[in-house]
Amino acid sequence: MNHMKKWKAIEVTEIAFLSIAMAAILILLSGADPLTAGRMFFNGIFGNASGFGEVFVKATPLILTGLGCSVAFRTGFFNIGAEGQFYIGALASAWVALNATGVPGVFRIILAIGCGFLFGGLWALIAAILKAKLGISEIICTIMLNYISMNLLGIAVRTFLMDPAGSIPQSEKIDASVTLLRFLKPTRVHTGIFIALGAVFFVWFLMEKTTSGYEFKAVGFNKRAAACSGISVVKNIILSAVLSGGLAGIAGAVEVLGVQKKLLEGISGGCGYTAILITLLAFNHPGGVLLVSVLFAALEVGANSMQRQMGVPSAIVDFLIGFIVLLILGRELLTGKMRAKEGK
Amino acid sequence: MPLLEMKHITKAFSGVYANEDVTLSVEKGEIHALLGENGAGKTTLMNILFGIYQSDGGEIFYKGESVRFKSPADAISHGIGMVHQHFSLVNRMTVLDNIILGSGGKKEVLDRKQASEEICSLAEKYGLFVKPDELVGSLSVGEQQRVEILKALYRKADLLILDEPTGVLTPQETENFFHVLRRLKDEGHGIIIITHRLSEIMAISERVTILRDGKSVKNLVTLNTTPEELSAYMIGRPLSPKTEDRKKTSKEAALSLEGVSLSKKRAGKMALDHICLTVYKGEILGIAGVEGNGQKELAEVITGIRKHTEGNISFDGSAIDSRSVRERFHKGISYISDDRHMDSLVVDMTVTENMILRTYNRLPFSKKWILDYKKAENRALEAIEEYGIRTSGKSGTRTPVKLMSGGNQQKVILSREISKEARLIVASQPTRGLDIGATEFVHQTLIRQKNQGKSVLLISADLDEILTLSDRIAVMFEGRIMGILNREEADVFKIGLYMGGVTEEGGRP
Repeated sequence: MNHMKKWKAIEVTEIAFLSIAMAAILILLSGADPLTAGRMFFNGIFGNASGFGEVFVKATPLILTGLGCSVAFRTGFFNIGAEGQFYIGALASAWVALNATGVPGVFRIILAIGCGFLFGGLWALIAAILKAKLGISEIICTIMLNYISMNLLGIAVRTFLMDPAGSIPQSEKIDASVTLLRFLKPTRVHTGIFIALGAVFFVWFLMEKTTSGYEFKAVGFNKRAAACSGISVVKNIILSAVLSGGLAGIAGAVEVLGVQKKLLEGISGGCGYTAILITLLAFNHPGGVLLVSVLFAALEVGANSMQRQMGVPSAIVDFLIGFIVLLILGRELLTGKMRAKEGK
Repeated sequence: MPLLEMKHITKAFSGVYANEDVTLSVEKGEIHALLGENGAGKTTLMNILFGIYQSDGGEIFYKGESVRFKSPADAISHGIGMVHQHFSLVNRMTVLDNIILGSGGKKEVLDRKQASEEICSLAEKYGLFVKPDELVGSLSVGEQQRVEILKALYRKADLLILDEPTGVLTPQETENFFHVLRRLKDEGHGIIIITHRLSEIMAISERVTILRDGKSVKNLVTLNTTPEELSAYMIGRPLSPKTEDRKKTSKEAALSLEGVSLSKKRAGKMALDHICLTVYKGEILGIAGVEGNGQKELAEVITGIRKHTEGNISFDGSAIDSRSVRERFHKGISYISDDRHMDSLVVDMTVTENMILRTYNRLPFSKKWILDYKKAENRALEAIEEYGIRTSGKSGTRTPVKLMSGGNQQKVILSREISKEARLIVASQPTRGLDIGATEFVHQTLIRQKNQGKSVLLISADLDEILTLSDRIAVMFEGRIMGILNREEADVFKIGLYMGGVTEEGGRP
């Protein structure tokens, strides 16, 4: 046990050191001074309120989609489709926000977010049923469904949801009464962050304290033993997948109602894929998802500041994230092998 | 000069000795038995010899020269052959192709004809009869074993290591197998046979080396020893005599199966073919048979994991055909599977979590939707106390089950499945992989259940186990019950015939 803790500590410092070194090299390669760039990086995050707030604006959809993935991974349903579920959730909530004009402000927000959850969940249900009943790989299904949903949204913003006054493929602006309140002006932080934090608590409670969480865990680790003990494997896979898609759908809704205030293409910014990395790095733990999401968001905000101030490409961050993931997974593999060698 | 000498072999894993100062020598033309409980270090020793592990200390002399094999390929090229407990054959290839697989030699083109002739002459010489053109997948287990031995001989093995070779054979097949071994011996081959069956050691070996706790504790000439002496050396104390009295069985049926069938997914064959069977209260009904003849399917149909396609199953007087696994468990049918790691445990979860795998959704462990881990923990602590479970770790009830020994894992399952409410225990290979101490514990637990008026359906490939525990013995062959014998009339020969699918007159197929 102690042994493992020691490994963990060494790993964390090593990985931090390696990634900082790599960042410095990349910045040098792009012709800038790493020290100034570093200062700009932190300046972007901590230098002013709006930058700091932006970290939480960016973290909100990451937390929600990350939680979504972690719920699905718990039962062994490898949901690569958070991206698509995000789009469907965004589409559904935008439609409700724009068209359910009979419903007054706050209730329309609740309805829109509810629909985001519902349709994101239904979108995941397609893959879940194919997997649970027919044994078709959920990885392939959810990836394919991502393309479908992306193009569905594309069709929507060019036809029935297109802003009649404009010529760009995007919806008209959502009425201010139906958007999420920005309560920390001048930052863009909106009430969506509370939805995300609520979801963190909900998922933690579900996983750790309820019989459903227990069933998810048993099914995820050993489907056969679960079935032999009378736990329904099909039911739990479907349930976790729907919940997972629903959370990604909420992320879409929150992004529409809190940040963009309209529906447009590419609205997710790839956060459905980033979510998979976040979940992996957080070892499926809801608290970990929160932490890693905030870290990823901070990286992005800092990198954007570097790019604005010094022209260092912000793509460096994507490079670094990939590098860190490889380091961590590679490390796991290495220590796992070493432990196996010692133990056998 | 001995064929093989292993001197003072030492091997440690993470500071724990798996082999410590082990010495073993095998002569040409000798059958040498390696005896020891699970975990005594037999497999480690053989893996060192076969080049799978490297020893930390000690020397190996083979044919007089000092050797150190770096890989199995290295060992094979020196003339050592190993037949593993689980065969390494390719089912969809022919016997011939399996035998020559990987031994291509230096020629560019395969000469199947010449290889075939060579194999046939080897087969003739040792009585290992197989048809070279048949697919391995269609052979019986006994025949597959012959292919494995031929494979080793074809690679010019002078020393054969056989790991638990009789575990999967019927008594008749075992007898044939022994004939082959004697012929090999007469031709000057050295043979190491790993086993824990004392009767076989007495029947076949010249000498025995006994391992206990990683050390070679004794080397005996078989003629001068007795099974009692062997087992005393093996477990370090004499076997405790079976003290449990047996109560008579009741006339009241607990479980009855009428014409129960299960069709296989593929092929026209039936996995279960019109099984009629009754288990009475207070009875242990043994199911004997070579593995893979429908025993697993029978257990799963009774426990509800699979749904039978024909016939009726009733328990305690009411039909349970359409009941789910969970409903059957709460009616009193519990299940100890032959595959602990796949069927009965979630090895990545903790002792506590595994303990409530059946009952987590009921009081006291949960109320509505909320789990009460405290109550579950207490339940686990009780079980640890009652069954003497050692969790091997400081985390106690929070130890992941995968870190525990097989015997302790089995105790977790026993304590979960044998509750007060259990009235029929379907126990499949309940002592597989357990050491003698744990095996005794399981046997006594099962007999105690019987004496309390509960029923036990005991499925086992170990005939000794079936004969010691059962009130009646049913023998399965290809999904059918070949016959049911009472405890008094059961003998190995008769059961062996049934196991091979032969019904003599008077049998009840």
